[in-house]
Amino acid sequence: MPLELPLLDQPSRHGFSLRVSAPLTDTPDLLPGREPREGEQYRFHFNMAKCIGCKCCVVACNEQNGNPAELNWRRVGELEGGVFPETQRWHMSTGCNHCVEPSCMIGCPVEAYSKDPKTGIVDHNPDICIGCQYCTWNCSYGVPQYNPERGVVGKCDMCHTRLEDGMAPACVNACPEEAIAIEIVNVRAWRQYHAAGDAPGLPSSFDSLSTTRVTLPSGLDRMDEGLARVDRGRVHPQHPHFSLIALLVMIQLAVGVLGTLWAMSVAGAALKPWAALIPIAIAGAALAVAPLHLGRPALAHRALKNWRRSWLSREVLALSVFAETAAVYAAALAVHLPWAAEAGAVALVFGLIGVMCSARIYMVVARPAWNLPFTFSDFYLTCAVLGPRLVLAAGLGHGAWLIGFAIAASVLQVSNTVARLVAMWRSPVEELHGAAELQRGKLRRVLIARFCCVALAIALVPVNPIAAFLFSLMSETLGRYLFFAGVVPKSVASTFLTPKEAA
Amino acid sequence: MIKRLLGLDNRKEKYKYAHDPVLGHTSAKRVSERWVKTTCGYCSVGCGMEIGVRAGKAVAVRGWDSHPVSLGKLCPKGLSEHHTLTAENRAAYPLRKRNGKFERMGWNEALTEMAGRVREVQAKYGAGAFGVISTGQLLTEEFYTLGKLVQLGFGTSNYDGNTTLCMASAVSGYKRSFGSDGPPAAYDDFRAADVILLIGANLADNHPILCQHLEANREAYKIVADPRVTKTAMLGDLHLPLAPRTDIALLNGIARVLLEEDLIDRAYIEKHTEGFEELRGFLLREWPLERAAAITGLSCDAIAHVARVYGRARAGLIAWTMGVNHSTQGAETVNAICNLSLMTGKLGRPGASAFSITGQCNAMGTREAGFASSMPGYRKFENAAHREELAALWGVDVERLPAKRGLAYPDIIEAAAEGKIKALWIIATNPVVSFPNKPQLEKALSNLEFLVVQDGFHPTPTTELADLVLPAAVWGEKEGTYTNSERRVGKANKAVEPRGEARSDFDIFLGLAQALGCRHELFPGWTEPKHAFEEWKRVSRGRLCDYSGMTYEAIEENGGLQWPFPEGKADTSPSRLYEDGKFEYEDGKARLFAIDWQPFPDQPTANFPLVLNTGRTVEHWHTRTKTSQVAILERMSPNAWLEMNPADAGPLGLRAHDRVDIASKRGTVRGVELRVTQIIAPGQVFMPFHFFETNVNEVTHDAFDPISREPNYKQCAVRVARTTQGRI
Repeated sequence: MPLELPLLDQPSRHGFSLRVSAPLTDTPDLLPGREPREGEQYRFHFNMAKCIGCKCCVVACNEQNGNPAELNWRRVGELEGGVFPETQRWHMSTGCNHCVEPSCMIGCPVEAYSKDPKTGIVDHNPDICIGCQYCTWNCSYGVPQYNPERGVVGKCDMCHTRLEDGMAPACVNACPEEAIAIEIVNVRAWRQYHAAGDAPGLPSSFDSLSTTRVTLPSGLDRMDEGLARVDRGRVHPQHPHFSLIALLVMIQLAVGVLGTLWAMSVAGAALKPWAALIPIAIAGAALAVAPLHLGRPALAHRALKNWRRSWLSREVLALSVFAETAAVYAAALAVHLPWAAEAGAVALVFGLIGVMCSARIYMVVARPAWNLPFTFSDFYLTCAVLGPRLVLAAGLGHGAWLIGFAIAASVLQVSNTVARLVAMWRSPVEELHGAAELQRGKLRRVLIARFCCVALAIALVPVNPIAAFLFSLMSETLGRYLFFAGVVPKSVASTFLTPKEAA
Repeated sequence: MIKRLLGLDNRKEKYKYAHDPVLGHTSAKRVSERWVKTTCGYCSVGCGMEIGVRAGKAVAVRGWDSHPVSLGKLCPKGLSEHHTLTAENRAAYPLRKRNGKFERMGWNEALTEMAGRVREVQAKYGAGAFGVISTGQLLTEEFYTLGKLVQLGFGTSNYDGNTTLCMASAVSGYKRSFGSDGPPAAYDDFRAADVILLIGANLADNHPILCQHLEANREAYKIVADPRVTKTAMLGDLHLPLAPRTDIALLNGIARVLLEEDLIDRAYIEKHTEGFEELRGFLLREWPLERAAAITGLSCDAIAHVARVYGRARAGLIAWTMGVNHSTQGAETVNAICNLSLMTGKLGRPGASAFSITGQCNAMGTREAGFASSMPGYRKFENAAHREELAALWGVDVERLPAKRGLAYPDIIEAAAEGKIKALWIIATNPVVSFPNKPQLEKALSNLEFLVVQDGFHPTPTTELADLVLPAAVWGEKEGTYTNSERRVGKANKAVEPRGEARSDFDIFLGLAQALGCRHELFPGWTEPKHAFEEWKRVSRGRLCDYSGMTYEAIEENGGLQWPFPEGKADTSPSRLYEDGKFEYEDGKARLFAIDWQPFPDQPTANFPLVLNTGRTVEHWHTRTKTSQVAILERMSPNAWLEMNPADAGPLGLRAHDRVDIASKRGTVRGVELRVTQIIAPGQVFMPFHFFETNVNEVTHDAFDPISREPNYKQCAVRVARTTQGRI
């Protein structure tokens, strides 16, 4: 270890000079001291070399925002690497990264988010928010957090009102080591080169062009794989979102039934005049169930607002149109209008678009296990598995080709599930492998139950169509449960202990 | 409710923001009507803070901007300290246990009952059958009052504090080396030193606000000696991962190199110390560098390097905490540290000191003004002149002052186990969680005829066992002073009323004096802490810990005043003891000691192959009586864990987050979450002690330092296996 000491040749009581202590009020600039200019924005700077892992910032943030303990808009994680005694042990404090391309904002169906044109601060308005939590899936850093007490999410706003008053944000103010600061970044330059936003324990700054700059301790590499987050291996099933399971399974069932009926009619089969009421009833029920997922169900209508950018808005739009066109189809079918088949085709197209929108909602960078082509095939195969079976069970159709189609769809769905699992298991991406581990581990029983249901749904189709339908409904429901619960979101490093949940 | 379910109500009122003139834009919950300046009630760093009060409730705290210790910063415990005042488990009423159940009673009745029951036990078994265990959490005024009450009112000297579980080794070590207790350093020394050696001190977890002084000194070479890669070890330029409890070998090795390379200050040694020749002979005879290296597991080069760096420094600071104190050789280790300071003349100058960083907010206060390990004002029991001086100050017969110290904490427990102590008064401490070898403690407490526990919190594992619970006011609800590690006396103020009928410990002591009939004699005319403070100023006058020049107003104005602060002193810049090289021995000279090293007593065996180390985490304070009630702290640190190196976990088939049982010869702690990590050495494991749910003191060793009586918490032999407890 190199020594840079003002060493004296001989120790002596005589002639030593007193060093003047640093003045107590000496604090370097933790605020930029000016407002961002055109093309600039504020950002956080975190100095990992200075952080001692005291978590003052976490407590100060919760106090500042009056948040319950379970919500932490600023968090501190721990990283570890090396072999004793050459161990590396560092901490990572993160708030919101106030991204250049905020995925929370892009995905928000109600435009509750805004990026301040002057400061670049990404702010969230709890009065507009309907609590759909889509932003919590979109953010790679786990920044927006849902507050069940309020029915809305919330997030770090860089204490922008304090900044306007010339005061430091609570975390900056509380840090005894001056490890957190606010600074100004040139957005264009950052777009081109944002490597300083990467650090061990932090998802890539590329995901949404996060702006937080991290200073690493000397000798540490940004891509250092030897320095691992200490919460690695601590994966828990995620919230299963039962109302979304119901929405997805029912909508896909409705589309499947409508598609089956339409195909039968095109093939020349005689349909019962009321047959198309079945998919309408199911789609209607699904759309009625969907708002239960929201923190603020009464404001569900707002979800249509951001159809230009948000797949969630688009899904709502497409499924509503599906329900409406399906109603037209049903009416046309009931009174034997000549263009019933054309109306059916239109409804089916909107149904398929709706299913595509559903899948796209989940295909977000922040949730790698969802962000796979298997999600598309999974959702469409559910239509194919369930549709013919309900038609068979309801006695609306019969025939070997229908039975064969149902069985083929189930076989494909099993293959899809297995292929997804294998792909995730083999993946070097931690969140993918972790999701496979989760589904094979803590969620193993659900996975096994799903395969059993599929087997029964295949075996029973020719003999007992009603039971076959019920088992397939069960298998697809369990599949969706695995989908929601068995995902490992991208996140920033956490601590070794699992943070205590709400009492 | 329906509006909330529909989402028409999003609890906007509860989450709204507002502008506070002091805090600025913040959660409206924190907007305060007035701010009360005070000193933090957790640890001994002594941070200055302000409590925000609205409608009689503490709603916020903030760092005191210009405070010389904390510079406006607070640790996570301090930042959430106001929540301890509204905790659910606050003791609100005096309680008596009848048929195993607590029932509420009045104060008069409670105090009369306590005085009566204690007198009864003393009449039956002798005055010494009543023992008192207090704390480092009270105010100095309260310690002063309590000491008089116990020694003169109750007439027992079997009185000690939980400071013996914490600081006693530093106290005894300082007394032996310098002739008196009293840490000689100032925090400013962290900034002024050019070499800082931390031994067994994990400041980043335990004294985080001191780190800003440490880190502000960019030029100093920082060395951290700790068996673990603590957060603090990462702050050092050099980490010395020495084997557990081998500090003495390290210190002797350093001393040997200092001697051999003539990095000592002969003039200083000559003028200000006694015992150098013996020490020199001992080191040259017994401590070749190779021996120190073999014991510590460090290389000869590393030890020599540290010795040279320290020896050549202009101002070298050695600071330590519990890694040194929690040892059967704690006091001697302190002496070995002081040896280095004295041999090199690195003492009493800016940046040069041997600094014991204390534990509790007022561990120092009980050392100065209490009447347990010494008489008030660091007066010695054995010194007849000291006894006479004190008796004269108090106007009591000198015969009433004990000529020797009563039983120390562990000896009170042992005496209770043996049936010699029959009644026990526990004040603001939680031994059921904090005392080593819990099975033995439980036996002792179950032997008592009468147990009274005075605490701000109930239930705690200790109050549960009490016959009588006296509810006390806590930090934020009472007034007085705390002394921090650098001898800075800080003012603690009352911001809110105590919970329910709880009273300040000061008022409880006066009430008991009343019940005993000695209030007028011992505390004439006293009604408020200031009366105790004024008497204490007189009693401390001329002593090392001289308060006579202080006033409450001046203390508050300056963000605390360091003692000695004799009448007439005005300079409030950082002060140090022994600047003139005059020590508290009769001859004015410090003592050097030849300290031999012993291995810790509970050595690993084939059956118990691992060495268990214990310690803390930044989120919690001691036995979590307070911090378990603060949701954000519990959130961040909800349970205990055991650190184990992969080299040990692998062969045991254990993985991270497995639940394990830890067994020693004394007991077993079950179901602890395992952290497999390289921050701990192979062969060692570490567990925090805060958690009564998984109490490490089920297994720790109740071996005590023969000099200081401090327990050897830090090392014992254990075995770890997958838990046999029901699946989690």
